[in-house]
Amino acid sequence: MSGTLKVTTLQDGGSSTANLVFDTNANTTAGGTVAMSSSFKRNRIINGNMVIDQRNAGASVATSSGTFIYTVDRWQAIYAATSKYTIQQNAGSVTLPAGFTKYLGVTSTSAYTPSSTEYFAVRQFIEGYNTADLAWGAASAKAVTLSFLVYSSLTGSFGGALVNSAQTRSYPFTYSVPVANTWTTISITVPGDTTGVWATDNATGIDLRLGLGCGSTYNGTAGAWAAGNYVSVTGAVSVVGTSGATFYITGVQLEVGTKATPYEMQIYSDQLAQCQRYFSKSYNIDVVPGTATYVGALATFSPTASTNRPVVPIFFPVSMRTTPTLTAYSPNNGASGNFYNNDAAANFAVQVSVNTGSSGASWLPSGTLTTNAFFTGHWTATAEL
Amino acid sequence: MYTNAQYIAFNGVNTGIRCDINGVTSFVPIDPANTDYAAIMRLVEAGELTIAPASP
Repeated sequence: MSGTLKVTTLQDGGSSTANLVFDTNANTTAGGTVAMSSSFKRNRIINGNMVIDQRNAGASVATSSGTFIYTVDRWQAIYAATSKYTIQQNAGSVTLPAGFTKYLGVTSTSAYTPSSTEYFAVRQFIEGYNTADLAWGAASAKAVTLSFLVYSSLTGSFGGALVNSAQTRSYPFTYSVPVANTWTTISITVPGDTTGVWATDNATGIDLRLGLGCGSTYNGTAGAWAAGNYVSVTGAVSVVGTSGATFYITGVQLEVGTKATPYEMQIYSDQLAQCQRYFSKSYNIDVVPGTATYVGALATFSPTASTNRPVVPIFFPVSMRTTPTLTAYSPNNGASGNFYNNDAAANFAVQVSVNTGSSGASWLPSGTLTTNAFFTGHWTATAEL
Repeated sequence: MYTNAQYIAFNGVNTGIRCDINGVTSFVPIDPANTDYAAIMRLVEAGELTIAPASP
C-alpha cells in the first residue's frame, strides 16, 4: 500500500487514550512516552554548526607551519604541505541557509597536486565515550548517518572517510556537489563496522575526515569498510588543486540510524561547555589567546620572596578529556611561557606545578618574585584528541 | 612542530615537559592520553627530538 492515509488519531485497541493525535498544522501529539531506538541527544559531532571559535575568534588561520592546526573548536585542518589553503569561520561571507549563522570555510591558495603520500583534509575526532553505544567492532554494530551542508566553487564528487583510532579501519565515502556556489544538503549512511578495534573511552572513537585533496595512498574505494587508513576516495575533487577554490561546510551531524534528521541545535552555553572539554582559556570567548589584555587574567600577589612561590591555582570550566597541555601568556604583550609582574613592569617565566589534572592546575614562577609583587597572567588548556 | 623540549621539575619530581609547539611555549603533562605528550614520545623514539633534563 502506498499513498496518503488521512486520520486524526491513532489508538491502541486496548487503550482509552489516543497514542497519536494529528492536527491540520502538521503537529503530532503523543498520548504516552515516545520510545526511540537511539537517544534524543542525536549529534555526536561537537560544534557542527561552527559557532564556537575560541582559538581564532573568526580570524583566518594560516597553514604555514607544522602539519595541522585547529580552526573553529573541535575542527582540525590537516596539511601535508604548508600554505596551500587558508581556513576561517565564515570565510567569504556567503549567505547561509536559514537557521545557521556560521560555517567553516576553506580557500585554496594555489593549484597543488598532492604526492601519493600527501593529504589535505578537515577532520573532527569524536571521543569514544560518545560513540560507545554504536557497538562498532561487534556483530551488533549500528549504522550511522552523516549529514551536512556544503557550498563549493567546485562541482563533482568529493570524498571523506570515517576511521578508527588506530587508523586500521576506514569507510571511505563520496558525495556529490552538483551546483557550484550553492548550499547542498549531503546525507551519507554508513553501516556499522563489525570488525576492528573502536575505542569506547576518552580516546578517539571515530575520526571523521573530509578530504580536500589526497594522494593515492590515502584514497580508498567508496562505500565499503576496508582495513587501512584512508581520507578520501579515488577520483574525488581536489580543493587544493584549484587556486582560489572554496569549500564551505556547516550543520555537520553524525547520528545513529539510517535517516538524516534536522541539525540538532544546541543551547549556546551547552555547546561551549562541550568544546571546553577539549580547549579552554582565561580570555573572553571572543579574544584570541596571546592578545595583550588584562580582561579575564588571574591577578594575585607574591606573599614571600621564595623560589617557585606563590603557587597559583586555576580551575577549568569543565572537566577536560585528560590532563591538558597548558600555555601561559603575559597579559602585557602576549608572550607565551610568561606572566607579567605589574610592579616591576616586566614579564617573568612560569611553569606548572605537579598537581595538574583534568579539573585544574597550578602555576608558579620559575624563579623568585619580590615580596608583595603584584602579577597577572593568562592561560589556555588543550586536551584535544 | 615540537622544539626546545625540556623536562620541568618541582620538588625534584618531573611535572611535565616545557617545549615550543609551533613556536608557542607550552607545558605538556606526562600523560599518555595527552596527544602532545604522545607525539613528543613518538619523536623521541624516532630520534627526531631530545628532551633535556630538568634544570637543577
